[in-house]
Amino acid sequence: MDLMVCVGSSCHLNNSREIIGRFKELIAGHGLEDQVELKGSFCMGHCADEGVCVKFGDQVYGVTVDGIDEFFEKQVVGRLK
Amino acid sequence: MQEITDIVQIKHEVLKLTAEHAFAGNLYEQYEQIPYEMIPGIKPQFRCCVYREREIVRQRVRMAMGKLPNDVMYTDSDSTQVVHVIPCACEGCPISKITVTPNCQSCLAKKCVKACPFGAITSTPSGAVIDQTKCRKCGKCVAACPYNAIVEIERPCRRSCPVKAINMDENDIATIDPAKCVNCGACVVGCPFGAISDVSMMVSVIDALRDEKKEVVAMIAPAIEGQFGTDTLPQIKQAIRRLGFDDVYEVALGADMVAYSEAQELTERVGAGEKLTSSCCPAFVNLVRKHFPDLMKYVSTTVSPMVAVERYIRSLRPDVVTVFIGPCIAKKNEVMGSYVDEIDYALTFEELYAMMCAKGVEDITGDEEEYPEDATRYGKGFALSGGVTGAVNRVLEERGEKVDVKALKCNGAEECRKALMLLKAGRLPENFVEGMFCVGGCMGGPATLNELQKSKKVFESRLDGADSVVQNVEGKQLNKADIHRHN
Repeated sequence: MDLMVCVGSSCHLNNSREIIGRFKELIAGHGLEDQVELKGSFCMGHCADEGVCVKFGDQVYGVTVDGIDEFFEKQVVGRLK
Repeated sequence: MQEITDIVQIKHEVLKLTAEHAFAGNLYEQYEQIPYEMIPGIKPQFRCCVYREREIVRQRVRMAMGKLPNDVMYTDSDSTQVVHVIPCACEGCPISKITVTPNCQSCLAKKCVKACPFGAITSTPSGAVIDQTKCRKCGKCVAACPYNAIVEIERPCRRSCPVKAINMDENDIATIDPAKCVNCGACVVGCPFGAISDVSMMVSVIDALRDEKKEVVAMIAPAIEGQFGTDTLPQIKQAIRRLGFDDVYEVALGADMVAYSEAQELTERVGAGEKLTSSCCPAFVNLVRKHFPDLMKYVSTTVSPMVAVERYIRSLRPDVVTVFIGPCIAKKNEVMGSYVDEIDYALTFEELYAMMCAKGVEDITGDEEEYPEDATRYGKGFALSGGVTGAVNRVLEERGEKVDVKALKCNGAEECRKALMLLKAGRLPENFVEGMFCVGGCMGGPATLNELQKSKKVFESRLDGADSVVQNVEGKQLNKADIHRHN
């Protein structure tokens, strides 16, 4: 499944680069390289939401640096089980 | 030609004003003003009214800021898609495909009437008439007319698209099917109304340049030589540094690495009786991936020169922000789709020039400071059709490898498609396919600043770099880096 992180100008200010870096570590840490493909995304139109726009499956989430580990555990690892 | 020039000018103006505000740090407060800055007053210049003109500019500003036009959301579309229709700029060209022209002589043979399998053509004293409700656009009458009086007209966007990814919605507005689109940008150039454009990462790059804590490096495609008239590579590098980049690397260095690696792959594949295609052109790779998925096994696993040089830079300077700058729209898609965790951003020459104008550093002048060239003439040659083959052959020759390479240089989308059809059918006589999606190679790309004939002349007069690829790659220890793709 594609895990898409917005790199638009607003999400950029909310630290999308750091989010991408952390996702890369989390995917490797859980050994999910074959199941999750990390991709970039242009603006998904949710700029007002908290954090960086992340799309997984059909859902769009707002992910913050503080909440990323919990998000990954719950939404990514949780859904793949 | 005038219309095309105006389109390029409007796109440039929007990018320039957006960059100006971004450099000034007031874009997020001021972006809504840009349509009024560009189009004051009430007299329209190109369209029916200024309000539509401003709406088009407003959508273009959104794209310059990395957003989609018309607030379309990426719900069921591919969010790495770069090329989009600007719906309010699309004229929904009312063209019926098959039309009788005044060349019709109302002849007695009436071959058109007889040729039509659907009974759609009637002969009248003033010429043949096509009943558009019956016409199925088979084209038989076009071929049959002895006066060439019946023509097939296709909307320019559809005709320009080499993969038939453009359709019309119920209002005749063009739409792009991301499942088919390879993001080559041919329609961006092809639409006479400028109603198709590419989303930009420029604002994020400017934000990074303004952040003093960040070290930002540019990676410039070899096609850059010749884009700015006769300015030399060291002068262009200097101008890019004036924008705030901390360093400038040549992607041609990555091309040397790619040639070195692909020559190895080719030796192995040919030795095993197999075939290989190049992998440096992202639109070509997209063509294979989306339209000939079974053939992905033939595509070289060596990454593109952009990725190769980025991995080299990253090995020396792990924390820099890397920005590719090239003539290519599909490169943005390559970065977003496959390398978002490695390469930070991709820009086009159009966007680079807009940034230079916004910062007032577009006059590339004076002293040729010492920025020695990084690459061989063969690595630089990747910018033109035939360059990859030339470089790979050079490596084989330098190594004294006796490999029986029969190369097919595909110059442009049509030749690429034909080669892949033959490969699929198992009837391709050659064993190496160089796929260049743009005619002429990268220098014929959709986001260039100069016409191919002019830029090529300058480019070719400068092909004087070092000429041993093996020495350059091994001397700089570039062969130690892992430059294979893993997806």
